Formats: sequence, structure tokens, C-alpha cells
Amino acid sequence: MNPFLTQCRASFEAQATLEGAVGRERRQAEWTRFEALGWPTTRLEDWKYTALSGLEKLSLHSTAESREAGKDGPPELTLEEVPAPRLVFVDGLFQPALSMLEGLPEGVHLRFWSELDAPARERFAQKMVPARSLTAFGALNGALVTEGIWITVDAGCALEIPLHLVKVSQTGQRMSHGALLLEMGEDSELVLQEHCVGNTDQPTHSNWVTAVELAPRARLTLVKVQKEGILSYHTAALHALQRAGSRLQVFSFALSGALGRNDITLRLIEPHAECVLKGVYRVADRALQDFHTSIEHDSPHCTSDECFKGVLDGTGKAVFNGRVRVALDAQKTASRQSNHNLLLSDKAEVNTKPQLEILADDVQCSHGTTVGQLDEEQWFYLRTRGIAADLARTLLIQAFTLEISEAIPHAGVRAAVRRLLGGTTEENGHV
Amino acid sequence: MLSIRNLQASVGDKPILKGINLDVKAGEVHAIMGPNGSGKSTLSNVLAGRENATVTGGSVTYQGKDLLALAVEERAREGVFLAFQYPVEIPGVGNVYLLKAALNAQRKHRGLPELDAMDFLALVKDKMKLMEMNESMLYRAVNEGFSGGEKKRNEILQMVVLEPCLAILDETDSGLDIDALKVVSHGVNSLRSPDRAMILVTHYQRLLDYIKPDFVHVLSDGRIQRSGGPELALELEREGYAWVGDAGNEGAVTP
Repeated sequence: MNPFLTQCRASFEAQATLEGAVGRERRQAEWTRFEALGWPTTRLEDWKYTALSGLEKLSLHSTAESREAGKDGPPELTLEEVPAPRLVFVDGLFQPALSMLEGLPEGVHLRFWSELDAPARERFAQKMVPARSLTAFGALNGALVTEGIWITVDAGCALEIPLHLVKVSQTGQRMSHGALLLEMGEDSELVLQEHCVGNTDQPTHSNWVTAVELAPRARLTLVKVQKEGILSYHTAALHALQRAGSRLQVFSFALSGALGRNDITLRLIEPHAECVLKGVYRVADRALQDFHTSIEHDSPHCTSDECFKGVLDGTGKAVFNGRVRVALDAQKTASRQSNHNLLLSDKAEVNTKPQLEILADDVQCSHGTTVGQLDEEQWFYLRTRGIAADLARTLLIQAFTLEISEAIPHAGVRAAVRRLLGGTTEENGHV
Repeated sequence: MLSIRNLQASVGDKPILKGINLDVKAGEVHAIMGPNGSGKSTLSNVLAGRENATVTGGSVTYQGKDLLALAVEERAREGVFLAFQYPVEIPGVGNVYLLKAALNAQRKHRGLPELDAMDFLALVKDKMKLMEMNESMLYRAVNEGFSGGEKKRNEILQMVVLEPCLAILDETDSGLDIDALKVVSHGVNSLRSPDRAMILVTHYQRLLDYIKPDFVHVLSDGRIQRSGGPELALELEREGYAWVGDAGNEGAVTP
């Protein structure tokens, strides 16, 4: 057993003893499932290009063992920049003092896993099963979960301002295992922005699992920005179930860290559901970002629109695996997928794989992949106008990913993401 | 202002410029004409600093400085402007952003304060009227989805905003209908002044009906074969390029 797993087992055992019989059984079941799935290695097809050798060597403690999260003061992220309503988690534990819940309408209900009784925890766990089944890290999350939040939006309730979820990796040598369950009622509407930030140069591991269910005609926008410390490991799973006429838009920006792995499965299980899945990954020296996405058209007349863009520098690596499955009776499906990569160095590497499994015959499905370099002609043009060589380069890199952030429907969130992506050239965003 | 001495340049292994000599003084407009493949575009590119052409000999002095030693953006800030034959589309970079960044880079280089957003917009809107351009084009990405004529107008818009000391116009008339040609020429003529020089690179005489050159040079096979006044352009239009000793695709005639 590697050092990481040894410590995970110790954490699991410590946390199991704090639970009642039902909770203990649940953790045991998840741990058994984790062991059965086995530690992901590059021998597995889904992990072929994503070696976890860096994580294996780490001996990380779970915050739940001490419940002393956030002792080192407020996180580096200026929380003033994150308006209410916001929920702040530090090292996987909820921080009421840093959170602000004013502005939440009556139709939005929040329940915390730590405050649930045993039967409710079990219901919560049941609803997390599909999300926790995406990878072995999902099972690990079930065995080691430290906190969860269950958000229910009543039918017809539309939140006009975004709800913010701030996840801070505050302390080095820590791992956090959180769970988010989001249930959207009929005709409800919500924008949720998730900030994953780090406040330490020490290794950390964030392993959150998110399960989403959209009732008919519900509309949800999820925007995730992952900008943790240089030695952070980030594994995350998102599973969404979409019913008739619902619309889900997911934007995911993986901008820093040693290794990031996002597994995203969106299931369109009733007619006329729509999903948009867009993202940006940026990697520099020795970093890796991996997106494994799966869009499952199980019902007719649904649409999906997926686009990921990658910027790779130094010895950075990225993986994009985009599966689109169209079931036999999912006729009139319209599905688009694209993945474009910008290589800024000879040593950067991207492994991109579209994986289309189309069983229905009356569908419109397209996919496209490109891997290219900065356009010399564009670079030259900007310089002939007096723009410095490095600024011209930054501008072109920013321009490459701009279409993703510009597609975010909420203006305030869009502007915030633009700032995070833009650095010195944010003024250019107003195209 | 500009002094080119025995300039030689290659693209790949192929020598294109084989010894160009040219003097351009402030206030002058020079037309460089020649058949396809004569080296006209290579000359413009070498002056602007494009890296695909390698200078193999000779010198270029601009306002007393060794132009060839300056980086592309330094040449621009020193007042050299190239209007592209094929302006490139840059999705994701705003036209207005580029104009402002370009102007302020130049002003900073000259020790002038940067223009704020209000003064800048007032200036640009004024220049857009001159170029008969719709203001909405400011808020589009650089040349993205522009027609051929719109791209050329946009080039000249940048030029009239930046007010260069030396403007090099590479085949600016190509792809323009007669109305657009008039607008573009009007923009160029508005910049003519005793302290500014221009080099018009063109295949056809047509542009010179609207922008009157002081001197006309005929470039062929990498050398300036003849120089003269505006009447030389008319002669070329009548006779074609064959008589200058061209081996290009207008029909080779050995003199």
C-alpha cells in the first residue's frame, strides 16, 4: 500500500468510529468498493496518460481527524471579491463565520451533511451514488467524506444573483472530501459559481463530488474555476441528470495545480433537454490537467454543445477524453463537440480523444479536434502595430480561450472569470 | 528619412532582393511598381521586420538609425507603419483595444502621456468618419469577418490614428472597388505632409491616379531597374512590364 492509501485507510477508520451503525456501514461499503476498483494506474484505459505517482507518495491527513480547519486565518482569496450569498469551505469543512447567506430566497434550502441524522445521511449518500461511481476517487469520497451540502431549489424559484461556493485548500498536507447535492425543482433557475482556491505551497488534495438533478424545465449554470496552489492535486466528479426541457450549462476552468482530473457525466434522460459543456485547461511546467467527459443522450430531441480549449506551455500535459453516447431511441439528437489545443512549447503534450458512440440513425452529431501553435502571422501583425512581443503573445493566448468565458450567460460571473483568465489584458475582453 | 543601400534578402534559399538602392526624403511619396515575383512584397516585409525574409547584405538607415537592428515593435514605435496586403483576422482581440494599445505604446515610447478612454474614443471616432467606417466596427475583433474592402479601410484607419513618419502601403489597392479606393486614397492623402514619407507598393497604376507619387521606381528581378517621375507609371501602364527586362509572369522578353 502506498503512503497515500495508508493514510486514507487510517482516516477512514478514524472517521468510521465517529459514526453510528448506518454511517459506519455506508463508509465501509464505499471503502470496500474503492478497494475493489483498485488504485488508478496508467494500465487502466481511463488513466492511461494520467500518472498519479506524485499523489501516491504523499501522506495527507483529513481535516475531520482534527476539525481544526482554517486556523491559520482567512484564506488568501480576498473573500470581499466574492459577494453574498456565499458558502465557504476550508479544507473540506464548512465555515459559517466566513459564509454569508443573505440574499437567498425562501425557495432555496440548504442542509449540511454534518447536521443530518443517520437516515437523512443515508438518503444523501444514496443520491450521491451515481456521482461517486464515476471513478475510484468517488468511492474514496464516500468513505472519507467530511462535509456535504444539500441544496434544494423549489419549483418555480429563480435566483437572480449567483450563489457562490468557495472551496479553500488552506493547510498543507491536507486532503478534503466534500459532497454537493443540488436538486433543481421544475422551472427553477440558479447560477452557481464554484471557486477552488489554494493558500499554501504545500501539497494538498481536494476531492469533491457533485450530483445534480434537474426537474423538467429547470435551468442551471455551473461555473467552476480551479486555481489552487502549485502542488495541489484536484480530483472532482460531476454527475447530472436532466429531465424534460431542462437546460444545464457547465463551464469549467482548470488553471493551476500539479494535477487536476475532472470527470463529468451529463445524462439527458427525457426529451428536449439541453446541455452546454465548455471548459479551458491551462498547464505549465510539470502540471497536468485531465478532463474526462461523457454526455449521454438517452432520450430523443435533446441537444448537447461541448467545447474545450487547452493552452499548454513548458512540459505541461493535458488529457481530453470526450465521450458522447446516443442511445438507439434518442432520435433527433443534435450534438456538437470540439477540442482545440494551443501548444506553446515543443515539450508540451496533449492526448485528445473524441469517443462517439452513436446508435440512433436520425441524428446530427459533429466533432472536431485541433492541436496547433500560436499563429505567427497574427503575432507579427500585432507587433507591427507597436505591441510588445510578449504582450502580443499574451493577447493571442487570451484570445484563444476568450470564446469560452464569453459564453457564460451571467454578466457578473463572466466578468469575474474574464479577470481570472486575463491578467494584464483584461481590457481586451470587451470585444 | 530612409536610405536603402545594396539591400539583399532571401526567402528560404532563394535570393529575392539582389541589391536595392533607394533614398526617401521627408515629404516624398515613392511608388514601387513591378510585376508579380519581382520582390515588392519582400521589400515591404524586410522594412517592417517580418522574419521569413532573411537579410543577406546591405543596410537600411531610418532617421539615422540602423532599421534592421530594431525589433518589429520598435520600428512601429519609431514611426514605421506597414499597411498589409492581406490584413490578418485576429478573433478574440478587439479592434478598439488594438488601436488604443498601439497608439499608447507609441506615445509612451515618445515620452507622451497615454490617452485616456474619452480622448482616445473622440480621436478614433473622428478618424472613422474620415474613413467612412461604421463605429460598430470598433467593437468587433480585429478584421474578423470583415470584407476585403473593410480590411483595407481598417488598415488605413490604423494608419491615420497612428500618424506614422514612414508609411509603407503594400498593394493597398488590391481587392478594392472604385468607391472604396477613393475613400482609402482620401485617408492616405490626408496624411501627406512635409515631415512624412510614404512608399506605395503596387502592381497597377490605378492607385496612382488617386495618390500622386513624386517618384516611381520599377522593381524587377530583385533590383530597381528604372526610376523616374509619375510619367513612368503611365508608361508602364501602356507598355506592360516586359520592356523593363522582366522574367516574371507578364511574359518574358529578353532585352
